[in-house]
Amino acid sequence: MIQVAEDAKRMLIDIAEKQDMYVEGNILKLFDPGDDQEFRKYVDVAIDRDKAARSKRLSVTKQVQNQNRELIFAQQQNEKLMSDLQAALQKAEDAKKIVENDLDNLQKRNQFELINIIVKVSLWMIVGVGILSTGMYITGMVTKSDTTLTGNVWSNIVSILLTNSFSIIGTIMGVKYASEKPKT
Amino acid sequence: MRKVGCGVDDKGEDTMIDSILLVDDENLFHLVFEDACSLLDISLKLQALSSADEADRLFKAWKNTPDLKPECVFVDLNIVGSSFDGAELIRRINYEHGNGVVIGIISSSYDRKEMSKAVAAGAQFWIVKSDEIEPRLEEFKNDYPGYKSRTANFKVYS
Repeated sequence: MIQVAEDAKRMLIDIAEKQDMYVEGNILKLFDPGDDQEFRKYVDVAIDRDKAARSKRLSVTKQVQNQNRELIFAQQQNEKLMSDLQAALQKAEDAKKIVENDLDNLQKRNQFELINIIVKVSLWMIVGVGILSTGMYITGMVTKSDTTLTGNVWSNIVSILLTNSFSIIGTIMGVKYASEKPKT
Repeated sequence: MRKVGCGVDDKGEDTMIDSILLVDDENLFHLVFEDACSLLDISLKLQALSSADEADRLFKAWKNTPDLKPECVFVDLNIVGSSFDGAELIRRINYEHGNGVVIGIISSSYDRKEMSKAVAAGAQFWIVKSDEIEPRLEEFKNDYPGYKSRTANFKVYS
């Protein structure tokens, strides 16, 4: 325990009376007022004031601690939400890519199917005209009619078929290859 | 004279813990603990550290100057920014730095496995942190002489 000198006691009491300032902190618990009732009163008041100040600080610190804890929790929740949102966004983007890809494939398939139909119709028309002109030419030869015009037509048609056959076959093969369903 | 103290010793007199060391990464809790200890007259001297590594270094240094060693140590279980946890710090203080100090955990955790680990490391008590820490510290204060004389069993204050 600390024995405080008389002049120091008087000085402390004087400061307390005039300026309302008291010694603070745990050191107060070490002051031994002895039989000095006035200094005992000073120490008691100082300890009570110190306790009140500490109580107030403790309450505020606890409040700040709780708010801090809540903020940390909220921050963690926000981070989790952000992470979930990013994952959802990524999923949506992936789904969008798949849909766009499917749509593109569908459009391509439709285009190829259309080309396929056009090529087939054209082929049938050429073949049909070829068969018709051949039929007319044969009929003309059998009936001993004038075959000059039908012979020229037949010759033209056959030459067209011959010159374009590779191109037509290539186009048909290309359309078939492009319109094949992708292997899973 | 105002009577201050921590627990009641064999002679029936109030005794106060000479000095306390708190190892906890939460700086705000340092203030809470300091004020609570002061209000409850648990200890006059209190040192607070935020790192288990720093505490480990200090205990190594205190081997040569045992007078500077605190009488009681409160260790947080999870000390963020440290190389090891509170249970490991307790084990080091007890088994590597020669001990003699009353030591235990102060944590918001109530994990039985961690408690067993702490007991194995030499923890004498476990105080659960909460808003109402004062009643737990007061109960600890009453039990303190038992911890000091190594007669009290491990106890959880919750």
